[in-house]
Amino acid sequence: MGEVIVVTSGKGGVGKTTTSANLGTGLAVAGHKVVLVDTDIGLRNLDVVMGLENRIVYDIVDVTSGNCRLRQALIKDKRFENLFLLPAAQTKDKNAVTPEQMRELAAELKQEFDYAIIDCPAGIEQGFKNAIAGADRAVVVTTPEMSAVRDADRIIGLLEAAELSNPKLIINRIRPQMVKRGDMMDMADILDILAIELLGVVPEDESIIISTNKGEPAVMDHNAKAGEAYRRITRRIRGEQVALMNLDVPEGLMDKLRKLVGLR
Amino acid sequence: MTRTEHLSIKGTRDGLVLYLDPNVEFQIVLDELKHYLGESSQFLQGATVRCYAGERGYNAEELQALTSTLASYNLELSGWLKAAEVYGKTTRPSDVEREKGDESMAEGNCLFIDRTLRSGNSVQYEGHVVVLGDVNPGAEIISTGNIVVLGALRGVAHAGASGNRLATVSAYHLIPTQLRIADLLTRAPDGEDTWRGPEIARVKEGQLIVEGLAGMTWKGSLR
Repeated sequence: MGEVIVVTSGKGGVGKTTTSANLGTGLAVAGHKVVLVDTDIGLRNLDVVMGLENRIVYDIVDVTSGNCRLRQALIKDKRFENLFLLPAAQTKDKNAVTPEQMRELAAELKQEFDYAIIDCPAGIEQGFKNAIAGADRAVVVTTPEMSAVRDADRIIGLLEAAELSNPKLIINRIRPQMVKRGDMMDMADILDILAIELLGVVPEDESIIISTNKGEPAVMDHNAKAGEAYRRITRRIRGEQVALMNLDVPEGLMDKLRKLVGLR
Repeated sequence: MTRTEHLSIKGTRDGLVLYLDPNVEFQIVLDELKHYLGESSQFLQGATVRCYAGERGYNAEELQALTSTLASYNLELSGWLKAAEVYGKTTRPSDVEREKGDESMAEGNCLFIDRTLRSGNSVQYEGHVVVLGDVNPGAEIISTGNIVVLGALRGVAHAGASGNRLATVSAYHLIPTQLRIADLLTRAPDGEDTWRGPEIARVKEGQLIVEGLAGMTWKGSLR
């Protein structure tokens, strides 16, 4: 019996889809049978990030409304045999699926897969309700910005109300240098407000943009810092105890010069 | 306040007040009083009592019975209250306000919340509210009584929402988005969120002020 994990955030643009793609790929690399489910109906992205856009024939709405069988809609990843994508429909809206249908779908996926990673749309309306309906646990993604943290707090409250308790937190796009200067919220500030367990911290990394555009999740890139962060997150999802990534930045030449001249 | 069918006793700053139902026979009230005092005389020993029975007058015999009943439980009848003193609008409004304060701020219904209130949560309650947790930005508490938060109060709190300026808001870490007591409103100063110890907000001379609770003599903190 597999596990259904929903990746959610409330606010848009904090990295739900990127996290879903990397988490799913990471788990597949580790040998698990994984399905990624895009529930952002009407604004689908996960297929693009995974580089599978041109293979879509059927989508999630076709499955829930009985137009096709689940197996027909699942797209096999181009890199991993044991990784699949269930894409969202692009021409429908969030009301095309009901929470009840999502629960049935989740139950079916659990029979077949070790992990089902559900990419939740932004917002707290129908799409969110659908995405969390069949989930066993939740991962909340936020960035070190007040607005994203507010929304994450609201989402955690809604998850608790839906009896999806103990959600785990991923802090995405943290910039260690800005934190050091005191210009960005640090982990402690965020955890102080949200008070939930930290699953991982992902540093801001240009390679994410490159990998997203190429359709190749960064978790496979062993030179990318964000890739390393996602590999650690993947291991924690599997239940391993892994230390947080060291985000300390080595002093640059300019820092050393400044210190020499006594500017700091 | 303790209440039986035709009798109620309330503790105030100036001793006990005994409310007698003016609409029933004196003997019924007296029997209830005897029964009640018999159960709780230990607790009430030696207090002075003032009585109130609306506009009803008791005759000398009845008064004597009342006084001696009270005396037999070591209680002294120190006088009768007028309707105006009980219901307010006397020549000394400040005293009445204090009385009302005792009534509504030091006791009453209370709601305990044993979790953190997150953004989007709203609690509205007639009475006092105690939160064993934080109140995050985007969450709100509206109460007619006091609000006590044992964690950090970062959201919106409105105490004394029905207009009672005697209400207070206290928190282990008081950094509200906005704080309201009765009809007054304030917000935390910008950029000041370092912990200064537990604090209490209340109305003093028409101003909403915040004081540290550490090292404070607790007496009268609820007035």
